[in-house]
Amino acid sequence: MKFQCYIQSSCAISPQHTFQQDIFSEALQTTDTNMLQAWQPSYAGLIPPNSLRRMSKALKMGLAAASQCLAEGGIANPGAIITGTGKGSLQDMEKFIKDIQTYHETALNPTQFIQSTFNAVNGLIALQQQNTQYNNTFVHRGLSFESALLDALLQLSAGKHHVLLGGFDEVTPDQFQIKSHSGWWKQEKIHSAALLQHLSPGTIAGEGAVFFLLANQPGDHPAASIEGMKLLHKPSSHKLDTALQQFLDEHALQPGHIDLLMSGRNGDSNYQHFYDQVAQALPGIPEVSFKPLCGEYDTAHAFGLWLAAQMIKAGKAPQQWFPAGTVFPKAYRTVLLYNQYYGEQHAFILLKKAL
Amino acid sequence: MTIEALKQQLKEQIIEALNLQDTRPADIDDNAPLFGEGLGLDSIDSLELMVLLERNYQIKVEDPREGRKILQSVQSMAEFILAQQLA
Amino acid sequence: MGERVFITGVGMITAIGDDVQQNLEHLLTARSGLGVTDYVDTIHRNILPVAEVKHSDVELAAMAGLPDNKGYSRTTLLGLVAIQEALRNAGIADPQEVPTGLVNATTVGGMVETERHYFTLTDPAREGEMMPVADLLDCGDCSQRIADTVHIDEFVTTISTACSSSANALMLGARMIKQGLLSRAVCGGTEALTRFTINGFNSLKNTDRQPCRPFDQQRNGLNLGEGAAYLVLESESLVQQRGATVLAELTGYANTNEAFHATSPSPEGDGALAAMGEAIEMGGLTPQDVQYINVHGTATLTNDASEGKALQRLFGKAVPPFSSTKPFTGHTLAAAGAVEAIFAVLAIREQVIFPNLNFSEKMEELDIIPQTTLRHAPIQHVLSNSFGFGGNNASLVISKF
Repeated sequence: MKFQCYIQSSCAISPQHTFQQDIFSEALQTTDTNMLQAWQPSYAGLIPPNSLRRMSKALKMGLAAASQCLAEGGIANPGAIITGTGKGSLQDMEKFIKDIQTYHETALNPTQFIQSTFNAVNGLIALQQQNTQYNNTFVHRGLSFESALLDALLQLSAGKHHVLLGGFDEVTPDQFQIKSHSGWWKQEKIHSAALLQHLSPGTIAGEGAVFFLLANQPGDHPAASIEGMKLLHKPSSHKLDTALQQFLDEHALQPGHIDLLMSGRNGDSNYQHFYDQVAQALPGIPEVSFKPLCGEYDTAHAFGLWLAAQMIKAGKAPQQWFPAGTVFPKAYRTVLLYNQYYGEQHAFILLKKAL
Repeated sequence: MTIEALKQQLKEQIIEALNLQDTRPADIDDNAPLFGEGLGLDSIDSLELMVLLERNYQIKVEDPREGRKILQSVQSMAEFILAQQLA
Repeated sequence: MGERVFITGVGMITAIGDDVQQNLEHLLTARSGLGVTDYVDTIHRNILPVAEVKHSDVELAAMAGLPDNKGYSRTTLLGLVAIQEALRNAGIADPQEVPTGLVNATTVGGMVETERHYFTLTDPAREGEMMPVADLLDCGDCSQRIADTVHIDEFVTTISTACSSSANALMLGARMIKQGLLSRAVCGGTEALTRFTINGFNSLKNTDRQPCRPFDQQRNGLNLGEGAAYLVLESESLVQQRGATVLAELTGYANTNEAFHATSPSPEGDGALAAMGEAIEMGGLTPQDVQYINVHGTATLTNDASEGKALQRLFGKAVPPFSSTKPFTGHTLAAAGAVEAIFAVLAIREQVIFPNLNFSEKMEELDIIPQTTLRHAPIQHVLSNSFGFGGNNASLVISKF
């Protein structure tokens, strides 16, 4: 199925200096703790003080990125607000679990319970914008953001003019600890900029909030158009190849038409073969990975999509963020995104320069 | 504890519990309404203040409607706490 | 727009029954599922009534046809029992024969297991040690395991919009069918009782120590419940092609946001009014066409006042019979929308209006009272409401076919 979907504006809060900054001159931010934490802007002025005082990191990042995205897009009231989050406000959930223990189920503050609800950010955005329209939240691990994008595409094709789409997740020390029990992180501490050179089991954690204002018409200055998306669950290597080929066919693309492969490659030797397989199916196409910039998290693909859109819009890459020797394309007209989440959830997104 | 000292302590506890970052105890008038106009607190804050009473003064307010009366102002909170302690 | 969407299978498990038939029998004989929890370790055990499914995880695993419950959260197990019934009911042996999606809903995923093991999971001394329970909290975990077990792989996702979650799951499935992305979607939600949620609602001081009393002047809050419910939605062309039996049609739905407060509805029910009105309009109906409303009716002070006002605003003097079935099942949160959508299907099939238990005194701010006894009546269209935190409101219209 084909969709008309144009990115009118976007906003990212991420471990890089992406919020209201010129990403083409900002220095690369790195860590050697295996946990890339988002660079937090000053929220005063973005969020009313009376709301701000109760909010945890995920809520602040989400609401600020959403508000800024709408402000830049010049649309206060989109026809739908749709987000994806793998984990929601972890800080709140953790605090409530601990308070239950500490206070033996008595005298508990409701704030953490309320804010741990996965749709809390959506509710806050609607409240702040006084938006009474369609509102939905997806919580499906590594396809949380992609599910939200699918819903957004459906809403646009059903006639909504504008949709606010977001993906957000936070990392906390507790969550880092918990997911170490699934073997998610590298045992050895590495420098995030060298993530791809450290091929070993596991990767590094990250976080961020990324919002897009999508429209079903190109408008004046669209950054890019989202042409389509393909989602896969636990594909065999054969199914992955077939799905990629079908996806390209549906969009009448030869591999040579693709200027750039933006991949979620993350130095995890357990699942590296998926990225290798996709790269091999696109011989000669330059590939850059966004994970050394944002780390691994459920909705990291939203950051990849944001970065690709920025590159298409500017016709260039923030080259200082990538390792020396990275091959960049000459033009940024067609970018294929590929991300997979711990081998199970896979997604292709096709992004084009809007004509 | 005198009512004056109690009110001062309550103001500090309210600021901390509700994370009223730009407010100092002196900014809170004893008799100013905590909700709506005054400090601009809402129904969730009122639940948090009931938790404050429970955690710090071992006073349990079960009925939210009753809570609303007790939590009108710092003055009313202090009076209620003292009355409970005497009772 | 697009194809008609039919309901061809239903499956559920709640405190009032392990399947749809048992649920119906309890509804018809006015037997509530509220009681004391046997499985949640909480100091509120003997104080706050809950509607619990009276099966251990091991028993649920056996009911779901699994060798044991290892690696499955209670949320997943409840979901599996319900979805298997829904697929059987729809006569689907192999979901992969046509492009079938699963749109699941949950509010806290595998919180039952997470809260039990949290302090082990976060013990720094045990960092890196492999523990399967580490993955259960993710909401996507239950959906994926349910999908894998019943072999749905075309599309799987999870929605979490608090108490309207599974109503939104039904809407997404219907929209994907109407817009041609799927020909079949299994939609619903699953929710297990947890100490986290019991304490959460209790901290909001809106849990009643007595069985909940929706739309009653003396109501004092909700009772939580657990369960799971799924409906099989199919496009009209698939129904015709495979000669499926249609139980009912999903004719209208709407999702609106109240934009009023993080947890409270607006006093005049603006969001509820918008959701109900839009759902009825989408079905090509007018309010007079609705014969029964399964209200959200949580029995909290604010919900019932707000929802009641919205009913009076939408239907004027002619508010159709309405009832809340929460005194039977408790508030099953993410599952509630699907549980009550199945009750709407049953109301149509049996041509009955289910009673609103525990009602005795009219609310002073309303002119209307709920249906308190079982009533037989011609039912063509049922309106079903699910309203949640974050101002997330959803209404469905389910119609006789």
